[in-house]
Amino acid sequence: MKKIHRTKLLRHTVTLLLAVLMAGCMTTSVEVPATQFPVPLMQKLPVRMGLYLPEELRNYEFRQDLGDAGVFEIEIGPAQEAMFTNLLTGMFVKVVPASDPVTFDTLEADAVLVPRIAEMQFSTPQQTRTDYYEVWIRYDMALYDQDGTVLVQWPLTAYGKANTQNYLLASTSPTLTQAALNACRDAMAFFTVQFQTLPGVQQWLQATTPIQPPTNPATVQGGTS
Amino acid sequence: MIHSHTESLQPGRNPRLTGLVSTARTALFATLIASLGGCVTSTVQEVRQASTGMTESDSIVILGRRDRPSNDETELDFIDCVSANLGKGGTAVNVINEQAFRDAIFPWFEPRTAPAKTSDLPELMATPVVSQRLQEIGLRYLVWIDGSTVRTDSGGSMTCSVTTAGAGCFGFLTWENDSSYEASIWDLRSGNTVGRVSSDAIGTSYMPAIVVPLPFIARVQNSACTSLAGQLKSFITNG
Repeated sequence: MKKIHRTKLLRHTVTLLLAVLMAGCMTTSVEVPATQFPVPLMQKLPVRMGLYLPEELRNYEFRQDLGDAGVFEIEIGPAQEAMFTNLLTGMFVKVVPASDPVTFDTLEADAVLVPRIAEMQFSTPQQTRTDYYEVWIRYDMALYDQDGTVLVQWPLTAYGKANTQNYLLASTSPTLTQAALNACRDAMAFFTVQFQTLPGVQQWLQATTPIQPPTNPATVQGGTS
Repeated sequence: MIHSHTESLQPGRNPRLTGLVSTARTALFATLIASLGGCVTSTVQEVRQASTGMTESDSIVILGRRDRPSNDETELDFIDCVSANLGKGGTAVNVINEQAFRDAIFPWFEPRTAPAKTSDLPELMATPVVSQRLQEIGLRYLVWIDGSTVRTDSGGSMTCSVTTAGAGCFGFLTWENDSSYEASIWDLRSGNTVGRVSSDAIGTSYMPAIVVPLPFIARVQNSACTSLAGQLKSFITNG
């Protein structure tokens, strides 16, 4: 009886030690939900905007090994289509999705926007000695005309943070997801205020014949709620 | 009846009553613990700059400041608590959920774009789609909340051990929390700040442990929330 008890105790001790050791090898994997992007509320620009999302953007996944703190993976790519579609739907009278950069000339669009993620970074509360997870995303934005010529290129840096204290037991996954989601929302907000201030965009808008908005807003293509 | 009651306080004589006595003791102990919760002292102050009032169709939104690069954001549950308290009771007001409001008016109340002062409002209201949306949701007052709850002091020690004979803790812990919040109330109709309400609460929690730890938690943040919501409601409706 005593032997059985000792064996049980030993087994529990080994399990506990393994759990402590495994904590250092833990992988935290989060995915930004694609359903939480609002459509911007603004006066729509009277142009037809094409949207091409490269494969590497759609599948973008950030991975960083922080040694003892574990491995962190942030899947941000799958949310990009909903994010950019909602963004452009709120900003332009008509949004035309493009599936291939070669076919830009056949699109009924005045220009095609092509976003790419150039860089992504994040920080943990342990690194910054705060309660916050922080996420930075640097996009490279490019606006092409129908011939495939670059009209404007510009960087767009977005930032998001989330407080661990807002989540039960200060858990990692929901906080990191929220920080990444906030960074995406910040990218949308920055795009809306920055786009018309770019000199190249201003010239293009002046040169483009404005189109009439559709009578029924529901006919705008590509809106995702 | 009195005789019967006396009997019930002598466990062992009547096995049927032993369970009842045990239950009564547990209930008494729980009541005692609840009544001994950590003490909280709270103060509320208000500064009025203009008259206020709300009609049935008017609504209010409570927003936490999310400015960068501050690491002192107001907790989401505090905002929810103030909103919930304003929206209930005899003089309940229409409260719009913070996230629903940010989504409905996106991107104009994001950390990058939110108006920092009332002088930024005219430019925002000049956008027809924005002013139209604000009218649709009936927004009259916008309340910005700044502040947070922090642990200001802690002390004591506690040791817990697990042996083959069982587990237990021994020691005494104490900590002090300080809540400090200020609400700035903007009237969208006049485009001015109509006043400020501040709520401060401080309280000490204790946790003695002789085998079993017994927490006596001071609900500091909750006290600050209740005080702030009550004063806000009074400020807006009785102005």
